[in-house]
Amino acid sequence: MTGPARRLTMEELDRLCGKRLAAAAGAAPGQGDTPAYIGPLERHVRDGDRRLLRLWYDDSEAAVRLWSFLLTEEERLHAARAAGLRIVGAMKDLGTVPVMAYALPNLVAFYPDGAWWTPCVMELSEGLFGVAQSLGLGEAFCPVRAMAGAFVTRAHFPIPDLLTCSVGATCDDFSAVAQRVESLGHPILWWEIPSRRRPESGEPAVTLPGGLVAPTSQVAMVRSELDRVRVALAELAGLPLGDAELAAAIREANRIRGLLGELRRLAYTAEPCPMPALEMLIAEMLAIHFCSDRAESAAVLTELLGEVRRRIHEGRGVMEAGAARLFWVNPVADLRVMNLLEECGARLCGTDYMFCHALDRIPEDLPPLEALARTALADPMVGPSADRAARIIRDARALGAEGIVVSRIPGASHCALEGAVLRRIIEADGGLPVVELEVPPVADPLWPTLTTRLDALVETVLASRRKQVIV
Amino acid sequence: MGVCPYARAFVAGILSPSGLAPQGNPRGGSSGLPREAVVPDAAVMTSTCDQMRRAAEWLAMAGGPPVFLMNVPATWQTAASVRMYRDELERLGRFLVRLGGSPPSPNRLIEVMEDYDARRAALRGLVGTLSAWQASEAVARFDLDPYEESMDPVQAGATGGLPASAERYERTSRPWHPDSAAPAIPLALIGGPLMLGDGRLFEAIERAGGQVVLDGTEGGVRTMPAPLNRRRLRDDPLMELVDAYFGSIPDVFRRPDSALTQWLGREVPASGARGIIVWRYVWCDLWAAAVGRLRESTGLPVLDMDISGDDAGFDRTAHRLAAFLEVLR
Repeated sequence: MTGPARRLTMEELDRLCGKRLAAAAGAAPGQGDTPAYIGPLERHVRDGDRRLLRLWYDDSEAAVRLWSFLLTEEERLHAARAAGLRIVGAMKDLGTVPVMAYALPNLVAFYPDGAWWTPCVMELSEGLFGVAQSLGLGEAFCPVRAMAGAFVTRAHFPIPDLLTCSVGATCDDFSAVAQRVESLGHPILWWEIPSRRRPESGEPAVTLPGGLVAPTSQVAMVRSELDRVRVALAELAGLPLGDAELAAAIREANRIRGLLGELRRLAYTAEPCPMPALEMLIAEMLAIHFCSDRAESAAVLTELLGEVRRRIHEGRGVMEAGAARLFWVNPVADLRVMNLLEECGARLCGTDYMFCHALDRIPEDLPPLEALARTALADPMVGPSADRAARIIRDARALGAEGIVVSRIPGASHCALEGAVLRRIIEADGGLPVVELEVPPVADPLWPTLTTRLDALVETVLASRRKQVIV
Repeated sequence: MGVCPYARAFVAGILSPSGLAPQGNPRGGSSGLPREAVVPDAAVMTSTCDQMRRAAEWLAMAGGPPVFLMNVPATWQTAASVRMYRDELERLGRFLVRLGGSPPSPNRLIEVMEDYDARRAALRGLVGTLSAWQASEAVARFDLDPYEESMDPVQAGATGGLPASAERYERTSRPWHPDSAAPAIPLALIGGPLMLGDGRLFEAIERAGGQVVLDGTEGGVRTMPAPLNRRRLRDDPLMELVDAYFGSIPDVFRRPDSALTQWLGREVPASGARGIIVWRYVWCDLWAAAVGRLRESTGLPVLDMDISGDDAGFDRTAHRLAAFLEVLR
């Protein structure tokens, strides 16, 4: 057994990348697995991604591949368009429409929503918030308003050939921003996702992935909405999109979800922690949209999983054993805060980044649209907060979490109320300490506050352990 | 923190009805209409915004009365969304029956709908003769009790439907100040719902030299359901109810929101408004995002009133109104 794996600066990660590229250059044809997109992060800093200089990275070639894959998505999308593929911009549903789009060989799907991280990665130098402000989307809106700016500047992703957006029981921020995007001349196929409710007594109901139960009528409603999406995708592709194609796409999506599921299980339970929180956050995001390349997503996750298994086998982690085990709720607008978690002596031990439904396996024994509808309706954000809290408690217990961080998104209209409800239920029913944070896209000015709050939670967890030992 | 004042007031008003204050309670009336402290047996809320959707949970967790959260689809151009709305009406009916109500026969439902329709028609006729302030009061009174005497279509025919003390509204050449011969500046008031006591908004506007000529707030005429089609009513009363409400009310949560855009594009120019006041609560993203588009689409000056729901906030509101009207003048 050796000491914990070091955390790398970007410069150090780039040196590791250089070694990988050199080894690939010297390898015999067909040997090794170093795709062309792999390259130093310094090239992205030159393009303005300055936050990369402030992050700490995992010391592995798997991390090199993960980061290169993430940061080259825009290039992939532009290359896809140049190659004649049609581009689908899926908005808000987080994990459903891309599964359908990738059923067709000439479609590529991505989430314009992802632009919400651009102000963080570029440390506000890109001006997207300023453009959004000029559209009437000021600071009162969640950082996803950057998406509207990106549609105006056209500097971040190609304008999709088809835009879809789930609405209904979704964030008002998002609905409002997307409507603003449409008003700029980008037509949107809006599809309804109703507020999930519990079945009434005697009402026909079905079990959703993840264990929730919903009325059959609501599932049927979502299924008919997804059928509209199916028709639009087929028209865009000029190809049929039937059950056979969808079923194959679901199997592929499940393969990726399976890889991620195993990665999460190991990374969140093994002691010491074998993979840092930041890389795990990025890995989880791959399950939603495959980062515009489904096959490569699987390869990236496979390499990460291999690294985690190797470390577990060697008894090696990224920090000493015994760190406070924290469960994280909601994605952070500033990626650097995931580093802070570990700097405060904690490790990630489970997550709900608002898309648990994209981590669960899609049923393969149902008609494909029925399976996708059930999966979409299992979205934690479209149902009661009590449902979401129950799953958080269940997952946190299963993964051995000792504390919970509810990370609020500034300006998000659902966060304040939902955060308070989640906290109340988790504390009452879960018996776990909870801390709420609000993380802006560049959190540096709040660093002392965030540190203090995380420190307090870690101290509470460790004190609780000591108390249990004494008892 | 982070909670819409309307949602907060709604929950507080349900949990502590006896504590109703002039401010901080959702509208049953826009200008401080008297409202008895009645403990509700249930609360019906809709899913049309994040805050109210979450507030429904909040209310249930706080030990309030049974809550019915009605799913109102944001989309409206598909048969599925219409069907969902109809299903929700039926579910609401079952909820009311569980509370002790009895299901109406089709004829009884038709009868009630026709009665409401007649009273709404009287109300529509009434509001056209009133100042915006008075009209807002009249709509609020109707919402509270459509069977109030002044809302009776027969009475309305005899008396014009006006409360005895109401002042007749002179639509033109009304001086904005007793000492001024200058006409008041016509304004459109657009946005979310007003709360009890917000009649002072109209007062503040008039004091500052303005006059609301179009009330497009959530409780105004914009959200009145369409008149019923008598033939279709006989064929399928529930479907006619769907059409009258879901099929006709333009609102900001709809996707796409083209019906609201069309309504504004028609009504704002027709009103002769020279400026627009957007009444929105802090944390209301839907109306907040509409402000920029209103500026673009109408070309009129727009005052973005972010309402915090407290008295100090209203003082600020009054100052901003005065400044806005000074610019328009």
